[in-house]
Parts: sequence; structure tokens; C-alpha cells
Amino acid sequence: MGKFLWEAIQRSTTGPLMSEEEFETELFPTVLGDLQKKYRIEWDPDEPCMIDPDMADAIFQAGKELLLEVGLYCKNTKRIIKFSQEEIEEAICSAKHEVTLGHGRQAITLKPRAPGDEQHLYTFFPAGQLTTDVQLYKNHAITVMQEPTCDGVIPLPLFAVGDMKNIADTPASTLVCLTEARIMNEAAAWVGKPGLFFGIPMSATTPLALMSTFASGLYNKNNCTLPVQILQDMRVDYDRFNLAFYAEQQGIEPWMSCSPTLYAYLTGPEQGAMEIIAHTLGMLAYSGGTLTQAMSVSVHGTYVGNDISWCNSAAGLAAERNLKLPWVSFGMTGNPAGSLSDDNWYDTAAACINGCISGMEALWLAGGNTGLEARWAGEIARAAATLSPKQGVEIIKKINAAEREPNPPAMKLDELYDLQTLRPKQVLVDHYRKFTRIFRDLGLDYPTWDH
Amino acid sequence: MATIADLRQLVSDTKPEEAAAMTGELLAAGHAPMEVLEEGVMNGLSDVGDRFAAKKAIVLDLVRAGVTAKACIPLIQAAFPEGEGAKIDKKIILGTMLSQHNIGKNLVSTLLSIGGFEVIDIGEKNSPWDFYETAEKEGADMIAVSVVFAPAMEKFTELIDLLKEMKVRDKYPVIVGGAVTSKNWADSQGADGWGAQAKDGVALARDLLEVA
Repeated sequence: MGKFLWEAIQRSTTGPLMSEEEFETELFPTVLGDLQKKYRIEWDPDEPCMIDPDMADAIFQAGKELLLEVGLYCKNTKRIIKFSQEEIEEAICSAKHEVTLGHGRQAITLKPRAPGDEQHLYTFFPAGQLTTDVQLYKNHAITVMQEPTCDGVIPLPLFAVGDMKNIADTPASTLVCLTEARIMNEAAAWVGKPGLFFGIPMSATTPLALMSTFASGLYNKNNCTLPVQILQDMRVDYDRFNLAFYAEQQGIEPWMSCSPTLYAYLTGPEQGAMEIIAHTLGMLAYSGGTLTQAMSVSVHGTYVGNDISWCNSAAGLAAERNLKLPWVSFGMTGNPAGSLSDDNWYDTAAACINGCISGMEALWLAGGNTGLEARWAGEIARAAATLSPKQGVEIIKKINAAEREPNPPAMKLDELYDLQTLRPKQVLVDHYRKFTRIFRDLGLDYPTWDH
Repeated sequence: MATIADLRQLVSDTKPEEAAAMTGELLAAGHAPMEVLEEGVMNGLSDVGDRFAAKKAIVLDLVRAGVTAKACIPLIQAAFPEGEGAKIDKKIILGTMLSQHNIGKNLVSTLLSIGGFEVIDIGEKNSPWDFYETAEKEGADMIAVSVVFAPAMEKFTELIDLLKEMKVRDKYPVIVGGAVTSKNWADSQGADGWGAQAKDGVALARDLLEVA
């Protein structure tokens, strides 16, 4: 639990009143713009990564001041929850810097790593296709979990169990989330990794469904975390506080996360990075979490591009130098192009290298649509571990400039994997080998890459 | 002396008070209301939209541009000569599905009003039920929906299903438009009409409501 959860709750009933519109169109953007100017935080659109330590420190200071000056807007009461300078400092000083995820032989401990450290990024792969077919969901999870570079998984949301749709705010949502948890446990046992880390429950979003799922024991403090994520642009509601308190009561690690949307109320990646720091400090204050997931998205609907990767790396490096929380960013592209597209493989690799050189500790949803793409993300994260920031940026620029084949039609899992043996078919293996050759030529190599 | 280009610039710069004042000046100087609307206000809004597409403007700028247009439009509406905006006895429910975006919706509202329709503007952040309930309560003749981001597309489909389930689908022609929509998508969802631009809304309404 955060050191200031009770203060936050109290202040949500006593803090200054303000309409949400005034908060989001006046107070927040004005302070953000002023701080960006004050700290001279600027992005060069030609740069995919932020590797300047001085700017990283400036971003951290700006993010800290953003929380101090703006506070968190409570949607329930229309009041602003402010934290003092001393409280923010205390939250920073009392933060834990390591976290153990999973258990038994699959337990991993995320410790601070600086750019260039030998310790590789841990990779949590997306498991279970976006589907209503439970068996297909399980098969997909197995193809991912069986990969040797799988350090943990993030279950993809199940849309239904049989005829029962995943309807939010109803027991159906809890039932679907329980099914997700059951399948994750079964798949992990099937591949001989019963202690695997399962990330966060993804088929449920409401506190009731999340708490009910944890009450079953299928997800528990040893294999899963509980989301306490802040809402867009410095907003909270009472759900965040209830989840933070429940996590503390049950000894579950909070999953602190934020995903600023660039070009909505943020003018670009500079403000996105500042907001990530402010969000993280806010979550630290009310939840006392350790594991932090931060990634930016664009209001234009993309997860890739220099602006997105610069924002992610800037926030990651700012946190690495000033917070040392176990930091997780996004390791896939969100591109529906499919498993045989060049785009997905190049852009996944770029995201992994970006994480390595920005001093992050892990990537979530690393990989694409299949187990072999997940394996690819894990291998790149390991092969790139010791790259200096400069070397990493050079490789990412080459990746971005690479000539790419037009995207072929997306293929289904049964076209890419033998669903009896759950082994990849030759067409996918050939694509994987093509990319291992390309990346060896770019200066990365991995022991299992057989050329 | 103020020009239409100056007004376009003020709208593009999202300066509501100055833009409203200049709108008054231009109308007083004898510019046609439709010219002020289309070449001053709508082109200024398009400029902000173009900057947004190029990542040189943000959603907040779009919201501010909407506020600026809203400051100018009542003056323009009031300046239309008697008879040009003759009332048509048809009521249209108009709103944005889910999101807070309102530029396109406000323009459609203005143009429909100028075209003589009675517009019940239910604003932003609406659910499918809001459209249905208001249409029933107001005795509407048509529903017009602004869909400007992906989650709202799904809600539009829900609206069509809801109208079918409530057995009123035939009662209300439904038209849709907005940044993320296309004719193919609108057709596939069972919409009765799709507009690429705000002005298309008027033609669709006249056609679907059989207004001569």
C-alpha cells in the first residue's frame, strides 16, 4: 500500500473543486507546457531514442513538478488531490527497487539495470489469441509458454467462454476471467513451467471481477499482479484506491501502469515522457507498488514511430537514473499485419533494442501473434543486452530504414502451427530464419540462431 | 479591413472572441453568410484538422477550434435572409457517440439548421441508448451520429441493433459520419447514409426524409 493512500482518500473530499473540463483543457496543459519550456525538453523527430542523461534528469524533474503543481484529479468528487514536495520525496525514497515475479524454478527477480548492463531484459509474451474459442486460446498460450526465452506471459483478453460473452460489470466477466486464469495455469503446467508469471488478469477490468478472480486462488500473489493503473492525464477514481488497498491486504504486487496518449492533450513525446514520470510518482504515492509498466500510444492509433519510441525511452531512462523501479515497456507493434509481415518482426526488434538501451528491466506483450515471434522478441532482448545506447540507436535507425516486403495477408494459427504437435510450420520457421540472418548482419547474434 | 482569409486564420488559431468579432464585421460589411461560414469558419477548421493529421496539432486544439466555430455560428445563422432558412417540419437527433469530439457534429448541426431542419443536438459522449431514448421522446424523424474514434464504431453497431430490438429501426433513418468511418463500413453496419463531409449531412437528410 502506498504511504499516502489514506491522505489521498481524505484529500479527495477536501481538495480544491474543479470541473473536469477546466482541469483537462486549462490547468493540466498550461502547467505541462510551462514545465516543458522551463526544462527545455525537446524531441528531434529524426531520433528514435532518448539517450541523453541530462535530458533524462530534466524530464524526471519536470514530471515531479507536474505532480506537485497539478496533483491528481479525482473523477468521483471533482476535487484535486495534491501531494507535498516532502510526500513525493518520501514516496520516492521508500520505493523498492527489486521485485520477484513467478515462483519456484520460474521465479525471476527484476533488479535495476543500466543501459549496457549484461543482464538482459526479461520478456513477457502475449499468451492466448483474441478469440472466443477456448481450446484455440489454450493452444496459443502453450506455443508461447514453451519457448525457452519466455520469462512470463501476459494473457490476452478472452471474449467469451462458449456462448457466454464477456459482459463487463456482470458475473460473466468474472467467469471469463476465471477461465483465463485456469487456462494459463493448465498451459503452464503442460509446458513444465508451473511457476510462470502471468502478468495481470486481462479479461476483467472492474475491481469486483478482479478481486473475485484472485479470491479463487487461480491467480495469486505468486503468479500474478493487480492493476492499479492511473487514468489518462493525471486522473484517478476510487477504483484505483480500492484495488491498491486490496493488493496490500492480500500481499499482491500492484501493477502500476500508464499509457499516455500523444496528440490528445499532450503535444508530443516530450510531454508524454513527463506525464509518465508524474503518473508513476502518483501511483507510487497511493499504491506503493514496485513493478511499473509505461508505454505511450498515439491518438492516431499507432504504437510505432520515432515519437512513440522516443517517449518510451525518455521515460525509461529518466526512471532508471532517478527511481530505479523495475520498469516494463511495450515490446510489440500492435500491427495487425500478421506473423509473416516484415513490419512486425523489424518493429518488434526495434522496441526490444530500445528497451535495452534505455535501462529498462522488462518488456510486456513482447512479440507478435505467435510463439515464434515471442521467441524472437526474447532473443533480441538477450542479444541486445550489452549494446551501448549509441550502438542501439544506430541499429534502430538501420531497422527503420530497411526495405520491407509488402505485408502478406494475415494467417490463422492453424496455418502457422501444427495444432497436434504445437510446433511451427515451415513457412513461419523460414520467416524466422530470414530475420535471424538479417539481424546477425546488423550486428546482433544469439546462440540458437542456426544459419 | 477584415477579410475572409483573416477569419480563417483566427479560427485556425482558435481565438473565439476575436473570430466572433470578425464574423460580425464581415457580415456587416456585406459578405454573404454562406461565404463566411464555408470559406472563413469551415476552412479554418479544416486547417486545424490538417495540422492534426500531420501531428502538428492535438485533440485539445480540435476542441478549441470547435469552441471558436461555435462562437461564430450563431451570428452567421442570424444573418441568413428571411426565407433562406425556411423551417422544414422534420426533427433530427444529432450527437457524438462516446467521445467528446464535436467539431464535425457542430458543423452538421449548423448546416442542418440552416437547411431548415429542427436539430436536437444531444452533444457528446453519448451511448446508443441516449440516441434511441431521445429520438422516442422527441418524436424524431431521423438520427445522425458522429463517430470519430474506433471504440465508437462498435457502439454505432450497437445502436443499429438496439433500434432493431426495440422494433423502431424502420422509424428512424440513421446516418453516420466522422474521421474513422467510411462508406463501406457504414454500409456494412446497416446505416442508411454516410457523409464524408459536414455538408453531406444536409443532402442525406433531404434525400432520406424526402424533402423536396
